[in-house]
Amino acid sequence: MDTVLFTPKEAPLFNSNQQRNVKEAMEMQSINQPQNSHTSTSISSDSIELPSASGKWAPRLLMECARAISENDSGKIHLLLWRLNELASPYGDCDQKLASYFLQALFCKATDSGQRCYETLTAVAEKRHSFDSARKLILKFQEVSPWMTFGHVASNGAILEALEGETKLHIIDISNTLCTQWPILLEALATRNDETPHLKLTVVDTASTVRSVVMNEVGQRMQKFARLMGVPFEFNVISGLNHLGELTKEGLGVQEDEAIAVNFIGALRKVEVEERGVVIRMFQSLRPRVVTVVEEEADFSSSRDDFVKCFEECLKFYTLYFQMLEESFYPTSNDRLTLERECSRNIVRVLACDDGNGTEGDSERRERGTQWSERLKEAFSPVGFSDDVMDDVKSLLKRYRAGWGLLLPQGDHESGIHLTWKEEPLVWASAWKP
Amino acid sequence: MLEKMAEEELPNGFVQNTIAEPNPPVAKKKRSLPGTPDPEAEVIALSPKTLMATNRFLCEICGKGFQRDQNLQLHRRGHNLPWKLKQRSVKEPRKRVYVCPETTCVHHHPSRALGDLTGIKKHFCRKHGEKKWKCEKCSKRYAVQSDWKAHAKTCGTREYKCDCGTIFSRRDSFITHRAFCDALAEETARMNAVSNMNNAVAGNINHQFMGIPLGPNMTQHLPSIFKPNVGSDDIINPTTRGLSLWMGQGSQGHEVMSTSNLQGIHQLGPCSGAMFADPFVSCSNPPPSEYHLNLVFGTKLSSSSTEELSSTTSLPLSDVKETGTQLLSVPSLYSTQHQSHQTPSTNMSATALLQKAAQIGATSTEPSFLGNFRLKFNADSQVQDGNKLCGLYGSNTLVTNLGNNAEKSGGDLSQIHPAKRRRTHNEDGAGGQTRDFLGVGVQPICHPSSINGWISS
Repeated sequence: MDTVLFTPKEAPLFNSNQQRNVKEAMEMQSINQPQNSHTSTSISSDSIELPSASGKWAPRLLMECARAISENDSGKIHLLLWRLNELASPYGDCDQKLASYFLQALFCKATDSGQRCYETLTAVAEKRHSFDSARKLILKFQEVSPWMTFGHVASNGAILEALEGETKLHIIDISNTLCTQWPILLEALATRNDETPHLKLTVVDTASTVRSVVMNEVGQRMQKFARLMGVPFEFNVISGLNHLGELTKEGLGVQEDEAIAVNFIGALRKVEVEERGVVIRMFQSLRPRVVTVVEEEADFSSSRDDFVKCFEECLKFYTLYFQMLEESFYPTSNDRLTLERECSRNIVRVLACDDGNGTEGDSERRERGTQWSERLKEAFSPVGFSDDVMDDVKSLLKRYRAGWGLLLPQGDHESGIHLTWKEEPLVWASAWKP
Repeated sequence: MLEKMAEEELPNGFVQNTIAEPNPPVAKKKRSLPGTPDPEAEVIALSPKTLMATNRFLCEICGKGFQRDQNLQLHRRGHNLPWKLKQRSVKEPRKRVYVCPETTCVHHHPSRALGDLTGIKKHFCRKHGEKKWKCEKCSKRYAVQSDWKAHAKTCGTREYKCDCGTIFSRRDSFITHRAFCDALAEETARMNAVSNMNNAVAGNINHQFMGIPLGPNMTQHLPSIFKPNVGSDDIINPTTRGLSLWMGQGSQGHEVMSTSNLQGIHQLGPCSGAMFADPFVSCSNPPPSEYHLNLVFGTKLSSSSTEELSSTTSLPLSDVKETGTQLLSVPSLYSTQHQSHQTPSTNMSATALLQKAAQIGATSTEPSFLGNFRLKFNADSQVQDGNKLCGLYGSNTLVTNLGNNAEKSGGDLSQIHPAKRRRTHNEDGAGGQTRDFLGVGVQPICHPSSINGWISS
């Protein structure tokens, strides 16, 4: 068990030495072929390139490794994991970062240790959480990128229009956005009408880490702000849930005379794939006036039985996400680092953990807008965003750096709008009514 | 006090002007409140169509429309048509006031008519009309074109300054920031910023203090504004503690507007109403009023029987004095309510609230803003270096653990990763203490023992 195949190097894994070490490692590799029972690994010297030579080494190596894992080619797996490990770094460029985080998932998959890894990562993240850090991070992200605010603006617009004229509003917010969506809505409620309606906000925090302390503080701030705005306000947090399927009408505090709006931001993907229909129907039974759904545009769900395909989808999505983060934040931003680390948990969860295993309510298996639409159409009918809301979204995008765009639904069968970055759709926002 | 203000160097010129004229010369006519017409005036009710019609006077030759008859007459000259300009009649014309045709509108009734034709037109459009004009930058909508134009001039140039000092160029990020800002958590001192109070509050306080009718109407609205920091179970800051005293005294026996968690109020319930009345009676001039306030709190605190109050007995009087200015701000809000004839500031436009808190100015504050920004980055990058080492191990600690476990499992794959194993090897020597490796302190994201592991290697 203690067979050491290579002499461990004491060299640090930082950029200044990395290139040189990699070169040495490559040379060592060619000298010491691994001895194992399989036929000699058929990786020709062509594929042993210096990382600087080819631009996109990371996706290539990562895909090769994923294939090797699905083929259970342990020699190849070993080699590729090793090679990736030499090149990867969470502090390097995009390729190095992606290599680092996906390597972790690949390793977990290969060693069947995904669940434990995920739990460790979650525990570490939980220790770091405080109201101040969470608030700072989320506000900064919203300031540099419309990733979240896109969904907020579209949803707020749809909600305000659907609940126009109502006096008792009840918004059920199922998200992990720490209520950053709501100040704008509160302000709109206060300034829009002569009669400011009463707003009850029930929040179901979908973050996979326990953060009731944070939510308490958020609640207090929201109450104070609502008071400042002059909006009669009530705030509740639902905690202690394992998964959304446990929610009930009574549990949510839904009353008959309220006009309900349900707001799902990145929440439906947390439900285990098989449960999604059930959960949607439960919310249908609340008879909401409007349901807003915002999700990230990627498909980790239909390919969940095909590791390589799922891996490819995952890699594609997170490559865009990481690139977006890199271009939105300043290079030395700690906030960006934190966001990237949060991705690592999700990546491990999707690629290396079995579904429905261990803690529920943290599925992360995303679906595309079209897929969600099919599910939602069984309980609701789509509502297009009004021109006013579209104008709001457009002016929102103008306030950010270049590169962001809007994609309208293409055909009749499509619903919802997409936020695009460099022409790639990344976030999907939609509105539904009973 | 006014003299003192004149001596100080003030950044805004306009303030100095008001000081210069203690006795203003015969004034131009003061603008009366809208909707309070001269009782002798003639009331005119125009139809919506007439109000909305922009060009009622049409030239018979070319069909061009004009807003005023005078303009049409001048135009007719161009067609060599007979024209006649009406002179302003010598006798005092009877003053005309106009009512809004919208029946649900408050200005529909003749007693609330508006005196200006243009005014009623704009009012009708703004309140009851369709908002056809839209700002491109912020997509705010307007019914009256002149409103839209006026907005377009300032849109994007305005800056919003939060009480915490941060400046925003975007309204939405300002609002969201404001909602979460720590400055907001300092409670009701903010309310003064949004009210109509000027800075010379101290002199007014006791006067208004005494003048407040403490009828049920007043106290009913206190809860919505002065809700104490009930969310947290532990110690509230001195300001809010003081406020909760007022709170409890005011609200007992009255309906609370909003139904959110009001444990603090209930706990303070059994204070007698007499306590409320006393402070007002005892105040006479500003300095003593502050002193009296403290005294009041002191005595009332000690005589209280409820748990909540007795827990605040420990509140040292010095604390109250320090926050004296903030406590004084409490009555000034009352005074605002007293002055306004309608229901209190909850009906004030939220935009106005935010705008009062905002700073309207040119974008010339950039240099300092960026300066702060840059400083921030330096700090960040310093931290970053420290974090690099920590973070590497922070994120990879689990891998080493897994490496350990993988070893034990004994499969083929468990032998891979000499690199990972290397860290495992380092890990073995780890202790429990954190060490200040770089002299920058261990950041919370670091896994402490892994740093030791690195060091020991």
